[in-house]
Amino acid sequence: MALVLVLSLPFLYVVARKPVLRRLAVRNARRRPRETMLVLLGSLLGTAIITGSYIVGDTLEASIRRSAYTQLGPVDEVVRTQSPEVAVSVERTVRALPAGTVDGTLRILGVEAAVATLGSNPRAEPKATLLEVDFADARRFGGDPAATGIVGATPAPGEAGIGADLARTLAVGRGDRVVVNAYGARSELTVVAELPRLGIAGLSIVGVGSGQSSESPNLFVAPGTVARLQADAPQGAAAAASPPLSAVLVSNHGDVLDGAVRTEEVKGVLHGALAGVPATVDPAKQHLLRSAKTNGDQFTELFSSIGFFSVLAGILLLVNIFVMLAQERKTELGMMRAVGLRRAGLVGSFATEGWLYALAASAIGTVAGLGVGRLVVLVAAGIFATGDFTLELRYHADMASIQQGFTTGFLISLVTVVVTSLWVSRLNVIRAIRDLPEPESRRQRLATAVFGALVAVLGVALTLSGISGDEPFSVLGGPAVAGLGAVLLLRRWLPRRALVSLVSMGVLVWAVLAFEFFPEAFENTDIPVFVEQGIILTAAAVALVTQNQGAIGTFVRRLGGGSQNMSLHLGLAYPLARRFRTGMILTMYALVVFTLTFITVLSHLFEGQIEQFTRKASGGFDILLASNPANPVPVDTVRKTEGVVAVAEQAVVAGEWRSPTTEGEGYDGWPLAGFDETLVARGGSSLSEIDPAYPDQQAAYRAVLANPSLAIVGEFFLQEGGGGPPEAPLEPGAKLTVRDALSGRSKELTVAAVSEGGFTNEPALVSRRTVDEVFGPLATTNTLLLAVKPGTDAQALAERLNGQFLANGADADSFRKTVGENLAQQTQFFRLMQGYLALGLVVGIAGLGVVMVRAVRERRRQIGVLRSLGFESGAVRKAFVAESAFVALEGVVIGCLLANLTAWRLVGSEVFGEDMSFNVPWVQLGLLVFGTFLASLLATATPAQQASKIKPAVALRLAD
Amino acid sequence: MSVDTQLEDPGTVAVAPLLQATGVTKTYRTGASAVQALRHLDLSVAAGELVAVMGPSGSGKTTLLNCLSGLDDIDAGTVMISGESIHEMSDARRTRHRAEAMGFIFQAFNLIPVFSAVENVELPLLLAGRPARAARAAARETLERVGLGHRLDHRPAELSGGEQQRVTVARALAGRPLLVWADEPTGNLDTETAGAVMDLLRELNADGLTLLLVTHDDEIGAAAGRRVVMRDGEIVSDERQ
Repeated sequence: MALVLVLSLPFLYVVARKPVLRRLAVRNARRRPRETMLVLLGSLLGTAIITGSYIVGDTLEASIRRSAYTQLGPVDEVVRTQSPEVAVSVERTVRALPAGTVDGTLRILGVEAAVATLGSNPRAEPKATLLEVDFADARRFGGDPAATGIVGATPAPGEAGIGADLARTLAVGRGDRVVVNAYGARSELTVVAELPRLGIAGLSIVGVGSGQSSESPNLFVAPGTVARLQADAPQGAAAAASPPLSAVLVSNHGDVLDGAVRTEEVKGVLHGALAGVPATVDPAKQHLLRSAKTNGDQFTELFSSIGFFSVLAGILLLVNIFVMLAQERKTELGMMRAVGLRRAGLVGSFATEGWLYALAASAIGTVAGLGVGRLVVLVAAGIFATGDFTLELRYHADMASIQQGFTTGFLISLVTVVVTSLWVSRLNVIRAIRDLPEPESRRQRLATAVFGALVAVLGVALTLSGISGDEPFSVLGGPAVAGLGAVLLLRRWLPRRALVSLVSMGVLVWAVLAFEFFPEAFENTDIPVFVEQGIILTAAAVALVTQNQGAIGTFVRRLGGGSQNMSLHLGLAYPLARRFRTGMILTMYALVVFTLTFITVLSHLFEGQIEQFTRKASGGFDILLASNPANPVPVDTVRKTEGVVAVAEQAVVAGEWRSPTTEGEGYDGWPLAGFDETLVARGGSSLSEIDPAYPDQQAAYRAVLANPSLAIVGEFFLQEGGGGPPEAPLEPGAKLTVRDALSGRSKELTVAAVSEGGFTNEPALVSRRTVDEVFGPLATTNTLLLAVKPGTDAQALAERLNGQFLANGADADSFRKTVGENLAQQTQFFRLMQGYLALGLVVGIAGLGVVMVRAVRERRRQIGVLRSLGFESGAVRKAFVAESAFVALEGVVIGCLLANLTAWRLVGSEVFGEDMSFNVPWVQLGLLVFGTFLASLLATATPAQQASKIKPAVALRLAD
Repeated sequence: MSVDTQLEDPGTVAVAPLLQATGVTKTYRTGASAVQALRHLDLSVAAGELVAVMGPSGSGKTTLLNCLSGLDDIDAGTVMISGESIHEMSDARRTRHRAEAMGFIFQAFNLIPVFSAVENVELPLLLAGRPARAARAAARETLERVGLGHRLDHRPAELSGGEQQRVTVARALAGRPLLVWADEPTGNLDTETAGAVMDLLRELNADGLTLLLVTHDDEIGAAAGRRVVMRDGEIVSDERQ
């Protein structure tokens, strides 16, 4: 805000000390309230979009940070141990640490279990967490009983305290009975307490998928319950299952968030104190807060990148409006200069008017941005509630973000109006009074040529450095910069139309094909590169069209009936003659339509890929059946199930990883699956990149099977969150370290291939031997891949298996259903972005409305003349409609064509895989084009009607 | 007071008048105030006449031109052109009538800035339904006649004031109208250029064109065949020279 104040100082000075300039600025702004409203509408949307992006990021960050309260509370570190006995020793050691390091410890024992209601139609949660905690100790933990969520006494044997999420899933309350299944044994318990999802009561640290959901399906049981279940297990069942997690929770000094600040220090102390003890320290709170920050920043970047097109459209609108204002007031400004107003005064008056607009638009835009953010969050909440990574979104707006949105919007508007004011104020007094075009002086021509040469050299240098360094921004933008320089340099000597057309065509071709020419540079393309591509393509296409408007106009006139169609003749005359103004509107339309179309096409392409994606992900299987590691489904029984023809066994465990992309000294959590020959026999999921040492996919899988030091990782491996395209997946040959957090055992691995299974939480694949070696007793066969007989309904069979193996926590789904759900989630996300981008269309349409309203005013006298010459009022209306229709249609066609062209070449370049084929979503695009076109015509309806109502004598009298 | 020249001196007009205005009244209303710009005015103009309407500012000259040409509505009276009452026509019919039968020359030229000279001149021809090729040919010919054959493709901003006014004259004449209305046609021109434009208009009048021009300039008034002087919305004198 201080920046806003500092930047406003010159304008405040003008307002306070320069009455003439103030009067000019204020009265011009107040002169036409309706137009001022349109200017504000066009300008405020940019600020709204920027603020909205920040709010989306804030919400995501705050929602994840909220998990720090709901799923960790006072817990800052989790010390995982191998047994309750070790946990006792660890707790004793930690408590003996010097005062001031930690303010509490708490021992817990946890295990994944299937929990169900009783009766003939039971409700079940296959992945509940059974927790043994002393409630009195838990309340004392961390010094703030309210933050732990624990109330009442520790459940007695045969009793349970149920977490709010599990109670909702099972629809049970106090006094109801539930059955717990683990280790092949069952135990019936009575619910005696309901606990909120908060702190220890909401703890989510047990199991492979912990931390990937906002929900905590916890069931608190009496001490000894888990041991009794293990003791009651059938012969061998306990041995085949994962042991429970025995951990000591540590709370640092400070409250829920402040405590995490000391994590690094506490971790060091704990590592020292626990040296030689089989335990690992997991900085759970710090990891969660980092994840919140990363996700928040990612989403802010995503939405602000996508929204940048709309912001740019807003900037162009402002420039256009100010140039129009300057043209409209040219004579007036010339007179002002003639009677003694200095150029600085002219700039001051214009810029002060712009400052008033910028201030008002930024303030209103910031408020509108809060609404935009809320709307996005509302839609996104539904998307985040399903899929691999679930998150309960709660709207949140930081004051800092609101201020940042306001400041950014204000800055953009102000810079735009000041630069435009400087530009338009460079007028010659006499030429301005006589409304004659400004010629370019010899000095200016020379300066332009020198500047052009410099720009051209810079462009070439950028291109070369980009190619040599595989830097996508420079590879894409270098030739465009060089082209711009060439035009500025050569326009003195070569015909402008031919020169600009040639350069524009070259830049267009480059921007479309660069991905194919230099695939290495665009290997891990991020969204800003696509933004750059969109801007370059649009600018080049608009330059090309602008230079050839004459030919296009002639063609359209012929198509519309030639000279006999006077409305069309006149309607096209203005956009063809006022090329700068037309170019600005075209760019606004084309930019937004390009992005909207591009996302529509991509969404359509992905939607149509369900069969291919299913084939890639399933690797020859039809059903994925996950079960409780503490009570896995019996493989032999499943193998004998009617309809099942093949079963592949996997041991999926929660691993900790270090990779070349890991920051600091910590480890990142990611699941891994140990597979055996049964998977390879049917192929395995599709691989996108394979180490050249292996000739094909089969060879790569077999190599991993044979060599415990090899791994296959997915494209999303170790990526935070789960939104957006894969970012820089690891290459074959990359070195990794996997670690068991419990035992501390680790192993060095080399990436043999990258799979394109498509699931965001796809486990890394290693041989079963590797999992056994590193994870020991935790490695249980808890995941099965099933192939079914042809003609069998895979999803129906999966649901039957879920019922049959309820006690084992069976969670089966057909690959087709899972892929379909993932794609549906992705489609929803695309829709959200389309909605966000549609705001940009509002900018474009509002811009066209402003231009047409001003055009009517500007051409009043001409309309009077035309009417006096015999031009009917209906023809005047038609001419205005033809004018806006022509400009809108050109913009829409440019955006649509470019987007389809880009998507076509992107698909052709196999960025999205080899199997994807390009096709145009005619219906969606038809609706988009028709909707945009119709809205544009509606925006012109009122000014066109006003124009047709102008009385010739009145127009001529007023003008003369 | 209104003066009907035909009634006062019937012997000088042998044929039926091209323009016959009777009892024309026009009042401008702004809020509660009303200004009577034309008061029961009668005027008759025969084909081939060159009429200069003169008078001080605010006397109603331009209003007279607007009302008699049908550019503006009247509150009372009738205006007959070639025997047709133009104010009884629909707006569309009146517009077509203007395109077919009238030409206009304005003080501020009022050319369409995005059209070239030849495109400006052919505009009324196209509006009257003339085929494009014929309209272009007629426009060229007319521009050549006013001495602008070498400036056909120049836009108004690229022409001098005199040239622009000659394009306006050409635009008014290209459709061979029955009647040309000119509102201060030389008001924006220097003396020399104004003289040239007036010579051109007189030459055209000599060829049979009927012209009604509004002017402040006494010299132009003196050069016209007939001089009508207005004051406070009435014709106070009507003299043939």
